[in-house]
Amino acid sequence: MGKSSKDKRDLYYRKAKEQGYRARSAFKLLQLNEQFHFLDDPNLKRVVDLCAAPGSWSQVLSRKLFTEDPDKENTKDKKIIAVDLQPMSPIDNVITLQADITHPKTLAKILELFGNEKADFVCSDGAPDVTGLHDLDEYVQQQLIMSALQLTTCILKTGGTFIAKIFRGRDIDLLYSQLGFLFKRVICAKPRSSRGTSLEAFIVCMDYSPPKNWFPELDVNKSVTEFFEGCMVTKDESSNDILPAWVEEDRVIAEFMSCGGLDSYDSDATYHIDDDLSSNIAKISLDPVQMPTNPPYKKALELKRSGKLTRAI
Amino acid sequence: MKEISHHGPGLCVKFYDEFVYAGYGPYIEQYNYKSGELINRCRVFRKNKVHGISISSNGYILAYGARSAAVCSLSDISDNVSILQEERLLAEWITCGEFSADGNKVFLLTCYNKVIISDIIGTIIGVKTIKGERSILYSGSIKPFSDELVYISAGTVMGGVLVWNLYEESIVHNLKGHEGSIFYSTISDNGKYLASCSDDRSIRLWDLKTGAELTIGWGHTARIWNLKFFQDDRKIISVSEDCTCRVWDIIVDEDGKSVLLQQSNIYEVHQIKNVWGVDVNSDHMIAVTSGNDGRLKITDLIQTSRTGKETGSFSIQKIQDELDIPFEKGEIIKGFQWFSFGLIAVTSFGKILKYGDVNKKWTLELEDKRFSSFVIVSGISSKNIAIFMNNKADILLLRFDAVGNLQLSSDYNIKGLKKSTNCLVSIFDRKSIILLLESPNPRDRLIFLKIDNYNLDILQEFRFNRPDNFVTTCMEAFEDYILLGSRFSTIGIFNLKGSDVDPYLIRKLTPGDTITSVSFVEIEKKLPIFSVTNRDGYFNFITIDLKRSSCKRVHFSVLHSNKVSKGFLEGAYIDDKNQYITYGFKSSLFYMYNETNCYEIMSEPCGGAHRQWNLFPDGRGFVLVYIKASDLHYRKIREPRFPAVLKNGLHGREIRDISILKSQPYKNGYLFCTASEDTTVRLSHFDQDTGDITNYWLQRKHVSGLQRCKFINHHLMISCSAREELFLWDIDQDSSSRPYISTRATLPTSSDIPDLRIMDFDVKFLLNSDSFLLATVYSDSVIKVWSFDEATNKFALLIEGRYETCCLLNVKLESVAKQLYLITTPTDGHVVVYNITDYIPYELADNFQFLLENFNECKTLPLPNYITKFLVHQSGIKTFCTDSESLPRTIKIFTGGDDNAIAMNILKVDADSLGIISSSSSFIEDAASSTITSISLFDKNRKLMMTSVDQLVKVWDVTGDDLVPIDKRYTTIADTGSLDVVTLEDSSTLSLIGGVGISLWKLAF
Ligand SMILES: C[S@@+](CC[C@H](N)C(=O)[O-])C[C@H]1O[C@@H](n2cnc3c(N)ncnc32)[C@H](O)[C@@H]1O
Repeated sequence: MGKSSKDKRDLYYRKAKEQGYRARSAFKLLQLNEQFHFLDDPNLKRVVDLCAAPGSWSQVLSRKLFTEDPDKENTKDKKIIAVDLQPMSPIDNVITLQADITHPKTLAKILELFGNEKADFVCSDGAPDVTGLHDLDEYVQQQLIMSALQLTTCILKTGGTFIAKIFRGRDIDLLYSQLGFLFKRVICAKPRSSRGTSLEAFIVCMDYSPPKNWFPELDVNKSVTEFFEGCMVTKDESSNDILPAWVEEDRVIAEFMSCGGLDSYDSDATYHIDDDLSSNIAKISLDPVQMPTNPPYKKALELKRSGKLTRAI
Repeated sequence: MKEISHHGPGLCVKFYDEFVYAGYGPYIEQYNYKSGELINRCRVFRKNKVHGISISSNGYILAYGARSAAVCSLSDISDNVSILQEERLLAEWITCGEFSADGNKVFLLTCYNKVIISDIIGTIIGVKTIKGERSILYSGSIKPFSDELVYISAGTVMGGVLVWNLYEESIVHNLKGHEGSIFYSTISDNGKYLASCSDDRSIRLWDLKTGAELTIGWGHTARIWNLKFFQDDRKIISVSEDCTCRVWDIIVDEDGKSVLLQQSNIYEVHQIKNVWGVDVNSDHMIAVTSGNDGRLKITDLIQTSRTGKETGSFSIQKIQDELDIPFEKGEIIKGFQWFSFGLIAVTSFGKILKYGDVNKKWTLELEDKRFSSFVIVSGISSKNIAIFMNNKADILLLRFDAVGNLQLSSDYNIKGLKKSTNCLVSIFDRKSIILLLESPNPRDRLIFLKIDNYNLDILQEFRFNRPDNFVTTCMEAFEDYILLGSRFSTIGIFNLKGSDVDPYLIRKLTPGDTITSVSFVEIEKKLPIFSVTNRDGYFNFITIDLKRSSCKRVHFSVLHSNKVSKGFLEGAYIDDKNQYITYGFKSSLFYMYNETNCYEIMSEPCGGAHRQWNLFPDGRGFVLVYIKASDLHYRKIREPRFPAVLKNGLHGREIRDISILKSQPYKNGYLFCTASEDTTVRLSHFDQDTGDITNYWLQRKHVSGLQRCKFINHHLMISCSAREELFLWDIDQDSSSRPYISTRATLPTSSDIPDLRIMDFDVKFLLNSDSFLLATVYSDSVIKVWSFDEATNKFALLIEGRYETCCLLNVKLESVAKQLYLITTPTDGHVVVYNITDYIPYELADNFQFLLENFNECKTLPLPNYITKFLVHQSGIKTFCTDSESLPRTIKIFTGGDDNAIAMNILKVDADSLGIISSSSSFIEDAASSTITSISLFDKNRKLMMTSVDQLVKVWDVTGDDLVPIDKRYTTIADTGSLDVVTLEDSSTLSLIGGVGISLWKLAF
């Protein structure tokens, strides 16, 4: 999410700046909420925001739960926990944790922070570093979701909502089918603020109801796949002594819903500075919305700038 | 529906015996790396790609990728088209697979740090893990030292490499130092080292015993994907997102205490992005790499030292010592010419020296003081003739025999030039050569001397007037004509048989300044074709009708126009495999580049273009001679010992659009073009039986990622992209050697918004003409209609307007009932219809297929309001196609959306009112599980083919009121985004499907 010239012209980018959000992603959550109203529930108290950096979703959650609550005194029992691999600068009323959500130990830590209480809502906007190997990138993305889901099953109250970012690649129908074991309703939603050219969309999983005969139990020695064994069985499991042969797995197509309304800005369009609808926010100066990150390749960039890395010898 | 061929990313490569095994999509391809021959292509997985290959000492091969794994014997891979029955499916992604030391067991490391041990037939023997370390891995490797000792190295997403002992299930080291995800780690055979790389772009070498970080290698400018120890663990090769592979020497100092990783060579091996796989054959010292561009590349790691005779360099001192004659103070080499016997050079004091390439000795041939202060050396290597000229128009010609003995010398003084500063030579015919003498004085005439190449007599002299602004830079002789390249991008043509004293001139042929080469290529339709290069990187192929030309008018046309990707272009030629080879300079490197298949042949760090240099053909290849730091260097460039590529590949990034030139077949297949995210357009050919792809040209005129490309008639093509770029291309197919493609016109841009994208276009031709009406739609909701005039090659804007503010994705021009409709689909899910009949200076011909001029005044009109719009999809309509022929007064509109749906919509034109009645007749909301990216009608508009991002290809019957599915296949092309269909004479259908790669399908129903 660098500040390229495209971003500068992007109206959601400007709008985020205007409203004090750290990233334009905030509008994705807001537009999802416009459609599904999961954040408008007066009983919403405890939420988890996974893969949260730089933190615009946490900001939205903090505003909904605290700032915009008419009963401002009613902060008892309210809790927002935000987790990311990257460090995050503090946000009011949000507990932040720097950790890998695929690590079972991280989930154990979040459970600890919640004590014995259940969460009302879990979201994950996680996206791995894209390598360019489409199948790997899609797999890792789905694993982030499975890790988020693992936590969700340990912490979400029955009937609660889980939302997560997905990339609608080749195995997305496999994921839909797996989610069907845990939620009564699964919808694939695309907010207007998410670019039409990207594969990004969000799964909105409503009415959490795990299978009766399956009891989620976090074990730090088990991977997420092992955690879900027995919950999402779609194939013959008898083969613990032989590498299973290839089978066609169950696939389901989730209902698609576009959200954000047709009057909202189109993230694929090029707007003119003098377009009416953007005039009020066009004037906003364009400093980076979010704090500068600390990329792992910082040293390499420095070396490159000083001419120490070359393409030729 | 059957897949005939697949071209896409190659993820892994392995040398074994005389073969290279490559994981190529769901296939393993086996090549003989000595002959380059493809031995077999065997399908190993149904949907997954082969990410890794391991071969056991007893002849078994293990392939793994995503959650699939398969084991079979090597002969199974050589002999079968498929071994799908061996495919196994695990619950987790397989990060690495390896055979045990004795070859009887298989280890599979999953991305959750678990190792499954099985026997060859898949019986599970054991499962091993590390307690509490079950987070996701991006990489890992398995090192079986013996049957008892196996190490696992696992790369986590948070900078750590976990080394663990498989059978003891205990952690050996947790190596910390890297930042970001670890993308690869590997242990050396001798057990001394572990090498790793991460998102931080460094390579780290660790002491496997102590776990200490020994050294860091910086160099790659992007992420590193793979590492390999070779040559007895003394070297490492790395491959990266920066398209290079690099060799690192592990340098251990004498007391064995400190270790250094020193980058010893860099090879640019793949295009645009990502080299994934690498292996080295240490016996032959060659590397094989595979990349996102689908290329399998062989790199000679000892290209310049294979025979020990490839290079040489001499200091003045060295030459002097060897000759044992004193040189003057400051005496230097001023010029040289290479021959098959060696080198002839002249010093600044007129010493003409010979270096014998066989006896490796320098001798003084003769001394001629006339050539001491100023001298130009040239010659014809194949005729063993060297030529020297000074600034007083004295010329000396020397002829040698094949082994370098001087046979004859001849000298002349040419009258009529005040000064001579330029001398060029070229073969004229079998018996003679032609010499050009040029003066710095623009009023002096240009003098050509025709010289007998045996007795060195001047046979004839020609004098021509020198045109204004003409400074000769290169020369080519063709029949009775001499073609001179000049600065200011000018070519002068001199007719030696004619009576003209003025040349014919072609001015401003390409952008840029100096023409660096003009060379005859072939005869097409009785006319010669020349390749012309410009130092600023542009090159053209032009055909000239010399007989019809005169000083007043040159009859020529540009068949091909393009430019090189970077650097200076000094020359080019067609090699014996019909490939176009360019050469020149890239910063301090001299390079030779295979332009047809887009790879570097060689490069030499010679210091840059300002050096004194020349490239000489010597019968066995080329010899580059240059002077650097006053030393004389030569480098021989020979046919590579091993084939440079095993497979050519296509684009480095996603293919956004494909168009087949359907009007006529070309060499047992069709020409097609592809528009890619990598900003290039390619013109290629596919063979309809084998599916093999031949690359012809890679066009670099666009500077932004492509949106669309489409053949609009039998020789014109349009491509468009972001930054408001739209080009009209002309394809010439008359030559039997290769097609040519040139830019014919550029659409004017309208705004100062740099990122305004042209999303789509459509055309309608004038009857019997190359003039057409063009509709373009933009990302700022603007719609424009233009007329293109074939005579002037200009676009004129006829209609301009804006729909709303949302982005427009597609446009079509359709005519029914003598009305012309512009149909567009914005991101808001609507189909929007405009009637533009009265807004264009044309009327429709009787069959509605063409336009007729009706001589209205041409001026820009505002776009009228749309006559109808209707909502079909929830969000953007990504793709649509129309059919106005199947039903009278009706346009069928097929749409595919971001919402997983496809629809058939009917537009009926009311006969009297010409009003439109629209309806959606069929809507399939779950046509795919993700975005529909491309649809196309075929079989006389009776069937519809569709692709979606979930990698499905579906075919629908569209003859009824409902869309009826008839076939569905999985494609291994990721990011499936484009397709085109062609129906053959035998009424079978071929389809190209593009995304990250391309595949050819044959359809028969
Ligand atoms: C698109 S950003 C989230 C933006 C955020 N929702 C906001 O509104 O500011 C995706 C984040 O996923 C995080 N991420 C990726 N893999 C992760 C992992 N394994 N554990 C925790 N966070 C992860 C990345 O560090 C990145 O910050």
